[in-house]
Formats: sequence, structure tokens, C-alpha cells
Amino acid sequence: MNIPMHRFKYTKLSKDQIGKKLKATENGPVCVSDFSDILKGRSFKIVTKDGPVLEYSFKNKNDMTLSEDGRKKIKTGYGALTLKQMVLFSHMIPDEQRGFNVFLDLDTDLATVIEVALSSGIVQKGFGGEVPIDNREVVRQIYYGYIEKGGKNSPEKLHHLTNRIEGKGMYWKQDTGIETLEFYASVCTTNFVELTRCVDDLSYCATSDYILVNDNMFIYDRTECEFSGINTMYAVDLFTEAQIGTRLGFNEKDDLEYYMFRGKGKVVGQLAALEPFDEHGEKINMGYRQAAPASDQPAPKPVMGADRIIYRPARNLKYISEDEINRIAETKTITFTDNPDTPQAQAGMMSGNTLPYSDLLAGREFTLRYDHGPVYHYRVTDAYNLEWKNEGDSKWQKETYRAFEADEKLLFFAHMHTGSRPPVSVKIALDLTNGLTTCIYSKVGSPYYGDEVVYEAFFGIAEMDGIESAKYLRHEFTDELVGCGFTRTYSDSVTSMHLYTTPHSSAWTIYMPDQTLGMQWCAPALYVKLREGVYIFNLVEEACNGAETCIIENNKTMRAAGFGFHGGRDGINLGVIGAIARDLGQYKVKEFFGPMARRRA
Amino acid sequence: MSKSESKSIDRPNRGRRSFIWKAGAALSAVLATAIPAVSMTGPSGGKDPKKEADRLACKLADLEDEKKIRLLHQDFETLLDSLEYENLVKLFSHDGEVKFNGGVFKGKEKGVRRFFCEYFRSGQAGKKMIPAPGFELNNDSKIEVSSNHLKAKAQYPFSIQVGSPMISDSVLIKMARLQGGGILRWWEGGLYQVSYAKDAGDGNWKIKTLEYHTLARADYRPGRSCSKPIEVPLFSKVYPDDPVGPDMILSKLKGTQKV
Repeated sequence: MNIPMHRFKYTKLSKDQIGKKLKATENGPVCVSDFSDILKGRSFKIVTKDGPVLEYSFKNKNDMTLSEDGRKKIKTGYGALTLKQMVLFSHMIPDEQRGFNVFLDLDTDLATVIEVALSSGIVQKGFGGEVPIDNREVVRQIYYGYIEKGGKNSPEKLHHLTNRIEGKGMYWKQDTGIETLEFYASVCTTNFVELTRCVDDLSYCATSDYILVNDNMFIYDRTECEFSGINTMYAVDLFTEAQIGTRLGFNEKDDLEYYMFRGKGKVVGQLAALEPFDEHGEKINMGYRQAAPASDQPAPKPVMGADRIIYRPARNLKYISEDEINRIAETKTITFTDNPDTPQAQAGMMSGNTLPYSDLLAGREFTLRYDHGPVYHYRVTDAYNLEWKNEGDSKWQKETYRAFEADEKLLFFAHMHTGSRPPVSVKIALDLTNGLTTCIYSKVGSPYYGDEVVYEAFFGIAEMDGIESAKYLRHEFTDELVGCGFTRTYSDSVTSMHLYTTPHSSAWTIYMPDQTLGMQWCAPALYVKLREGVYIFNLVEEACNGAETCIIENNKTMRAAGFGFHGGRDGINLGVIGAIARDLGQYKVKEFFGPMARRRA
Repeated sequence: MSKSESKSIDRPNRGRRSFIWKAGAALSAVLATAIPAVSMTGPSGGKDPKKEADRLACKLADLEDEKKIRLLHQDFETLLDSLEYENLVKLFSHDGEVKFNGGVFKGKEKGVRRFFCEYFRSGQAGKKMIPAPGFELNNDSKIEVSSNHLKAKAQYPFSIQVGSPMISDSVLIKMARLQGGGILRWWEGGLYQVSYAKDAGDGNWKIKTLEYHTLARADYRPGRSCSKPIEVPLFSKVYPDDPVGPDMILSKLKGTQKV
């Protein structure tokens, strides 16, 4: 697939179309590896908490019957795989567009039953109102239970969610040849890189569940909401770094994928978790509380998929056209207002931890000459004002600017190109010790959305008094940060995690109130090395709100400073960003990226 | 504040058993002082036994009411601490009102519901917190029941988290809001000043007015080593101009409340 998933227009499959394609599932899933016959000839009843009672009889390793909650038996195909004491079997229910994936622990007789359904008809709440879920999106509901055995009491402890996987990263290769990197960076989402299915080294986010089986085994699922809607789930043994799993859904070609797989992998790293040590993650600790049922009322039956909140930026956010952005720019371009009356300033949300402004450029005149790019002449008036012009122009243009000293005599400054349409801003790193400079040139408006920033990096040199610039040496793109995770505390009230997933993408994750990592999203990004331990990181929240975050991060001071640029109904805004960082660790994944690591399924 | 007091606020004993034990102990103490008085009265005591019995009955009724009111307040704090705002509203009388931060929220089903279920819910406000370091408060608590046992007034200390949702186009904030975060939080301490009325229908005590008499506010969350005082803007708009605002602004307070 050579179109990035966040740009791909997935077909809105109808319920009928899906029903026809799901006919094939009546024979059960397929598998490259041999199915297990461990269930052949066995019958048992699975009792779940707040969920169905499932009575199974397995005729052979492909055919079974199921009675759900005592209803009439249905016949269907199934497949089973084993991993140590764990059995995973998967089947669909004919004509119902739903089925079950059942994880059985034969040591404890505990079961995790994950019901999966398409054409769910669910309508979820989002930023902009109600969001109907696409028919093609696989919805899951988890039930914890056990195999009922005569004479035995029901177990006190069932499988449950866990935060013990949070921060782990794994490489996987399925028996299908499919390779992935999967960063379990949060308790409810995953960052994954399709090393064979997609040609770009980009990561994507998917909503996920992590269920603890024992100290070395866990159950995992992810649904690629906002993309194909496909679901992958598996059990993992961390001792042997092996998995057994299923995949159900429709790919970008609208082909049905319903198969089981075995996989071998390796742990590629573990990022530090920051939640309290006595928090075990058995529930997702959203900051709000669901209303409890009245004491005289029975607990309501779980609504399929209703227990998870899914970030749906492509549908939650409303987009505007390029024409509209240009009209807005005429009247409402906001540059470094530092207005203490703005709600953002009052809250100190994103700029509470900015570095002090630098006046190191005040009074200087210089030229920045970028390879195959612009040439800018500057006359800097003071710490906040400058004049600039393109080479060849006669007229100087006045702008307000802000500069930070991100490292010793390494300046990072930004300003608008006032009057440009579409609106343009430049963020410039200028090393006063060697004259090397990098310009991140950005404009509002992409081929996809009028309010999405696009950017380009130019490398070059400065011509200024006292500096002898290099002829060939330049700043350059880097993969040194790949796999790194850092907290970004923008103010005492806002902290997120940056995870540098690949050389060309990054994820941001929001901490829950108890500092457990929660909701996550990702986007393409670029990384430039300026000095040892000092980098530019630039990211636009593509197919999201289109905003740009452009920071220099100094891993000696663990400080980030830079600029945010975006266009929207509230205007065109170039503002400052600053954050305090903590190092969370690094996944060792560089070997998986770049032209030499290219894989094909 | 002593360490034990601090702990009791941080982790309130929400079980009624403990409170009843304390109330029972108080009751026993009063009875212990009353019983010798009864035993001294008699044919030679010089006091009217009927009047004395009436006095004791009245005293017992006071204590019973006081106990019920304390239990009502304990329920109030427990529901607030567990963010069960809907159930909390049920503790108010139909004409109940809440005074908070320069605004008055009037009527159980309108103002009081708006205050707890919308304004407080949006900031997850009301959860108990240990007092911010340097802002410890006296633990003054008192209850006065009217002579006809139909009304009462009380005062209790509070030490709670207050919050306000962040309003921003930032994706970080929006994502945080989706998962229950994105809230500016601070600590407030002061006194609840409450009036109660006995419901004519079921005879139960209800909250008639609840006033948050805030004595201190600080930028503080549990686990932090320091705190600093903050100012919070008073309500400046009434409902519906402010969708979660009060029904009335207290005119004597305007601007920012500095405490």
C-alpha cells in the first residue's frame, strides 16, 4: 500500500455488502500454520461475567456447534491454535455479522471471550457531535469468564485489564510473512508500523486492550478505527516471544481478511511508565465516573463497544477550505500576542514552560542562504522586531519575531511572512558558532485540507559578521531519536508524551489524571540534527487539526522550545511553545527502517 | 494540623459504623450526665419529674436531629467525593440553593442540578483533598437545631479539589477532555455554611441552602511539595448567558475573589 493510511479513502461498505462477503466465514478462518485439534470431541460451557453463557461442542478441528444463552444450537466452522496452555479459537455466527474469539487458559480454566461484530450501528459521541461508526469497523466487547466444571465453585479472580504491558515495544513476524512493529505505549492504544503491508516508514495508532493472563502471558487486541476498521487480536507469551492470533475485517481493497496466525517476535524495548506504583490498571482510569445504577436495579448489560473512547480526528474535527483560510488570514492573523487575556494564556496550557526570549540577534544584519531554497536578508531591530526581504527584492518587510537560545549561541526564531497567501511562517535555527542554519518553511493549506499546514526543511548557511560558514557541511536529517519517548510538560496542567516511532513519524499520547498513558494519535514528522543532543522536531497533525509543532529539543537540558503554527476559524496563529521533558527510554528499532530494511510480504 | 487530622481528610472514613459509634459515644456521654440528674429527682428532689422528662426528651430529640444532620452531611460529602452529582442533588429541598464563588444557584431541579451536574461535573470538583501545605484550616464544625425541630443550621470545614475545563483548540487538550482530563485543578478550603429544613412530606432533613465560604485557594494537587495562593474570577454572567452559570450574582462581590 503506497498511500498512507491516514490519506486513504476507505470504501463505505454497506451492511449488505459486508453480509455477502462474510458468507465465507461460515467455514471458519484460514491459517498458514496447521490448526490445532486440541478441542476435537470436547464440549464445555463458558460462563462470563455480565455476558453470555456459551455452550460449545467441537466435532473435529474445523466444525463446532454453539448454543448462546441456552438458545438453539448453531453449526459453524472454527479454527484453533495453541500457545503453551493457552488455546485461542475463533468463529463467526452465520448470517449475524458477529462472532467470538475465545482465549482459554487450560491451566486455570479461565476464559476471555471477545465478541466481534461488523455493521454495529453504534453512534459514538465525538468533539463535533455524534459519530456513526462505519459498518466496516470491527467492534469488540470483552467478557471475562471461565469454563464451568461440575462441582467446582466459580473462580474468584478472572482475567482483567492490565497496565503491565504499557511501554513495551515488540517486533512481530507472522507465519503469513507480515512484519510489524508494535509499541504498546498506552493502556488503551497501540502505535504500530506495518513493515510489509505499507511502503512508508510511518506509524499509526489504533485503539487497543491489554488483558493479563499471568506474569508472562497477555491478550491483546487492536482495531484500526479511522482506517480500514480491521481487527487484530492475539495472545502473547513473553518468555518465548511468540503469539497466536486472529485477524478479521476488510483491507484497503475491501477484501475480507479472516485468518488465524502464529508469530515470532522480540521485545525491542520498554519505556518508563509514570503512574503510581500501586496502580495496576485493572480498569481504564478515565477521569470521570459513569453514573452508577440505582442499588435496587440490576447492572445494565454492556453495550457493545461502549466501554471505550476512540479518538476519531478525521471525523471529529471540521475542516475548512483554502479560500476560507485566506479570507480569515486577511482579518485575523495572530502572531505572538502574548495577550494575558486569552484563555490559553490564562490557563498557561501550552506555553507555561517556554524559555526566556533571546535578544542575541538584536542589532545584527545577515543573510541566510539555503541550498535549493530561499535566500533571506535580515535586519534585526531588537528582541521582538525585525525586517526581512527575499534576495532580489528592494523592499524590506517588518515583522514581529521571537527567538530562543536553545543551546549555547544556537538560536531558534520564527516569524510570519505577512501578506503571503496562503499564510506562511518560517522557523529558523541559526548556529552563531558555525553559521549553519535550517529553515522550516510552512504554509497553511495542503492538497487535502485548507486548514492543514504543510512544511519543508531547507538547509543552508548564514553570511554575517564574525562567522565563517562551511561550504559543504550542513545540518541534516537524523534517525538518532527514533524509538525515543519523552514527556512534554507544557505547563503544570498539560503533559503529553512524544514517541518518535519512525524516522518519518511521531505519536503523541495524553496522560490520564493519574499519569497513566491514555489516548494517542500520530502523524508524519521530520527530525534534523543541529548538534550533539540538539534536534529540530517538526510535526503536523495531518488529517487531524492540521496544526504544526516545531520545536528544538535539547537533550542536555531536557527542554524543548519552539513554535506552534496553525490556521482555523479562530485565525492564523503563530505562537510559542515550551516544555520540560523527562526521558522515558528508547526502543531499539532503527534497524527496521530505511531503504536497506525494506520488506515485502 | 496534626498528622492524624490530615489523614482523616485525605482518606475519609466513609463508613457509617464509625460515625454512629462516635455519635453513640456522644449520646452516651449526655445520658451519663442526665441519668444522675434523673435519679436525684424524686419525691425529695424538688423538681417536677414531668418537666424534667420533657426536658430530656427534648434534649434527646435535639441529639437525634443532630445525628441525622451529620449523617446527611456525611452522605453529601461521600457523594461529592465519588462525583455522584445526580444523587447529590436529591439531598436538597425543592427550593434549595447553592452559593458559590459569587453566584447563587436557585432551585433543586434547576440551579442546584446545574451547579453540581454541569458546573462541578465539568471540573470534577468537590473531591476531598488534603489541605494545601501552608493552608491548613481549623476543624470547626457545629450544628444548631431550632426549638421546633423543623430547621437547623450547621457549619463544617471543607478541603476540596475544584476544577475548570480547559477551553482550547489544541488537540492535546481535546484529547485530554475526551478521556476525562484537560481540567485546570486547584485546591479550595473553607467552611460549608448550611441550612436545613425538615421535609413536610417524609419528615427527612433536606439541605435548604449550601454556601461555600472559601477561606483559601491554592495551586496545589496531592503529591506536590509546594503550593501557592491563586485568584479565581468570580461568576460574571448568569444562566443562560453562561450555560453553567448561576441564576443570580451576589452584588456585593465583583471581579476576582482574593482569599
